Amino acid sequence: MFLTRSEYDRGVNTFSPEGRLFQVEYAIEAIKLGSTTVGVRTPEGVVLGVEKRVQSPLLESSSIEKIMEIDRHLGCAMSGLTADARTMIDHARVTAQNHAFTYDEQIKVESVTQAVCDLALRFGESVHDEDAMMSRPFGVALLIAGIDELGPQLFHTDPSGTFVRYDAKAIGSGSEAAQSELQDKWHKQMTLQEAQILVLRVLKQVMEEKLDHHNVQLAQVTPTGGFEILDEVRLKEIVDIM
Amino acid sequence: MPDGSFAHPQQRQFNPYTDNGGTILAIAGADFTVIAGDTRQSEGYSIQTRYAPKVFRLTDRAVLAVNGFAADGNMFVKKVKQRLEWYRHAHAKDMPLRAIARLIQTMLYAQRFFPYYVYNILGGIEEDGSGAVYSFDPVGSYEREACRAAGAAQSLVQPFLDNQIYFKNQKAAPGTSHPTHLPLSDVLSIVIDSFTSATERHIEVGDGLEIYVVVARGRSPQGIEGIRGVQELSAQPNGDRTFILRRELKKD
Repeated sequence: MFLTRSEYDRGVNTFSPEGRLFQVEYAIEAIKLGSTTVGVRTPEGVVLGVEKRVQSPLLESSSIEKIMEIDRHLGCAMSGLTADARTMIDHARVTAQNHAFTYDEQIKVESVTQAVCDLALRFGESVHDEDAMMSRPFGVALLIAGIDELGPQLFHTDPSGTFVRYDAKAIGSGSEAAQSELQDKWHKQMTLQEAQILVLRVLKQVMEEKLDHHNVQLAQVTPTGGFEILDEVRLKEIVDIM
Repeated sequence: MPDGSFAHPQQRQFNPYTDNGGTILAIAGADFTVIAGDTRQSEGYSIQTRYAPKVFRLTDRAVLAVNGFAADGNMFVKKVKQRLEWYRHAHAKDMPLRAIARLIQTMLYAQRFFPYYVYNILGGIEEDGSGAVYSFDPVGSYEREACRAAGAAQSLVQPFLDNQIYFKNQKAAPGTSHPTHLPLSDVLSIVIDSFTSATERHIEVGDGLEIYVVVARGRSPQGIEGIRGVQELSAQPNGDRTFILRRELKKD
């Protein structure tokens, strides 16, 4: 396997004879090492959930930040090299703010996703007169949740700059098992609470530790509340119901 | 002088602007908006052309009237239309009216230190289906209003509108109140009267009158189709509808 890939997996701007960009494929592999992240769309809003791997009892679990706000109506959960996501989310935030400044309206979920994906492909050698670019593909996948005039939406982006809309999507180490569970349990007329419970149940199935309100994080985007990360009290309530 | 000094003080000037006259006007109804402008373009006492449109259809629900320096106005409209097309490609929808209003502000303010010498009035239908008028100064200050006149005859027309649209200096009959919005036929009469009067009293106004009417989706066009010479510009009659009405004004 590695014999055939040698030479062509060195540069980020060289296709292999079979027409593949190995560095991009490796970046997609990097996400499969990340912690499991789940997103579920319902008519009432979108729910995002992440597993926080607490590696040491001395670690402050509240300092692990894997769900972030992009704008009042947009949230984002990540899996993979989370440090890379900071660059992307910063870009998404600037794009959303510029849109609001210029057009006096909230940016659409698809538009902000497109902006992030445009950034994902700006790797390689920087061309004369251009700002320094990223030297390698981003090693992170995002679940972008939001609400606009088209209703609640959930998008998945990967390091190749591809984005797809989903009703429910899981990424990260436990994504295969989680995705088939979502496929079984997701239905069109879910309530927000059903979605919260589904996200926790799916995470619980794929997590090695016992799930509690310290090692998961939930967030939601609703028409009334906008984006909000659920605090430990609300999270504990849902964990108890589950 | 050979040593580089001057015998007398000298002054040089750069005059990049002209005033090309004309007047524009817009009035918002409950579920429609009327945007109008005359078609004379002049410079001083000479008429450059009797037909230079100042009112432009931007989208299915937005119409922009531009008055002041014609060259700047035409370039500005061209740039707004380009931005609307880019927006359509990026966001897969037409730009809403209030977004166009904000865009015009940012475009005007971007030229804060070499402004477009134009007064803009934007009219159309808001996302909630109400008629709306936005007026701008040359560097982008803007406001949503029920009516606005701008240009050479602004000082003649605006007081008339204040009286007829806002009912300023009028007292309602006992037990009654002034209406907040007028029906289309009344608005059209006021627009035509405004321009015939401005043509009488102002040398830079006249020749032709173009009146755009935008009617909100699903609302009655209030008999506009029966008016002489009305032409519908909208492609499908089940969305917002735009009509244009042309009238002659005196040419002296």
